[in-house]
Amino acid sequence: MIDFSVKNIRIWSCLGSCGAFGQAVLSLPESDDSVIVITADLCSFSGLERFKNKYPDLFYNVGIAEQNMVGIAAGFAKEGFNPFISTYASFGSMRSAEQVKICMGYMNLPIKLVGLTSGFSVGILGATHMCLEDISLIRAMPNIVIISPADSTATIKATIAAAQLKSPVYLRLTGGMNCPVVYKEDFSFEIGKAIQLKSGSDIAIIATGSMVYHALKAADILEEQGISACVIDMHTIKPLDLDVIKKVCSLRLIVTVEEHSCIGGLGSAVSEALSMQINRPPLLIMGVNGSYPHAGDYEYLLKNAGLNFICIAERILKTFKEFFDE
Amino acid sequence: MNNEEKYLHVFMSTFDIDEITAKSLEFQGIPAWDSVGHMGLVTALEDSFNIMLEPDDIVELSSFSKGKEILSKYNIVF
Repeated sequence: MIDFSVKNIRIWSCLGSCGAFGQAVLSLPESDDSVIVITADLCSFSGLERFKNKYPDLFYNVGIAEQNMVGIAAGFAKEGFNPFISTYASFGSMRSAEQVKICMGYMNLPIKLVGLTSGFSVGILGATHMCLEDISLIRAMPNIVIISPADSTATIKATIAAAQLKSPVYLRLTGGMNCPVVYKEDFSFEIGKAIQLKSGSDIAIIATGSMVYHALKAADILEEQGISACVIDMHTIKPLDLDVIKKVCSLRLIVTVEEHSCIGGLGSAVSEALSMQINRPPLLIMGVNGSYPHAGDYEYLLKNAGLNFICIAERILKTFKEFFDE
Repeated sequence: MNNEEKYLHVFMSTFDIDEITAKSLEFQGIPAWDSVGHMGLVTALEDSFNIMLEPDDIVELSSFSKGKEILSKYNIVF
């Protein structure tokens, strides 16, 4: 049983989402003896040291062989296991795309693919390790649930929720170590149900993953400028919470924010949902546009992409004025 | 509680160890001081001494004695 104490939430925040995943998965065999964990050479990086030491028979490190890892997980799943597999998001989603499509999308096996450091968080290693296309790619495959938790606490909740799901899941982890805390205490997490973190009457900011924190901070800045913004944590990108999107159609502007390409991710999913609404406001999709940046540290890359809270607030303010110059 | 006692208490309570073990402890010297335990130690030190450790200092915090050296940079006198 995981203790959502203030102390633990702080430690999980220091560990970042990868370390938090390791802490969550450590608790799973207590209630589910079918859980096994496989990694592609990222044991410590996935926060899995303790799992490996505590459950050596439930842990497999396949080396740098991501495609093989998905195939092995499929075999375990066919035998009734509940496999979690972890590697860098770029290699899990893109290098293994065909295996993910066949084993998870087509065969619908309940593999939990954990994409570590998605977005820019290991961008210091260059474009090979930046992962800005994974949502787009996996969203097009049938059956696979896509979850992108906002912080380390949400990562714990999402991991536990994913374990209980009998379908394939892509758990997209963003942010680095010392990731900001969005959820300061235990909270209710339901796959497919977005969480409204702040109410507002002018615009809705729908964010996912690491961008939820930045959306909240941007909303504070906008408030000072006289724009009332509600902030929604869209932790599940597929299936999308259509009810919450219908509700925000009464506002003047919808903004989506994601540490992902502007094409094919959260913004596209919301756009598709809005397309069937007769009365809908304009949609501003904020994400990564253009070419891959040079290697750089996380904060630099976020700023460069216009995805820190200051840039987000400025862009929203500019767009709002363009539409509604009063 | 003086700083010496406070520092020792952080190690003893974080890792559930006795005084003798604590005073000679090094990173990964016991199972509890792994990468996860390390972050627990860091947050406990930060809370106890009301400081924020720099990333380089977090990495260099490799033993009980090294930790005292690091904390002295934050004006913690032992």
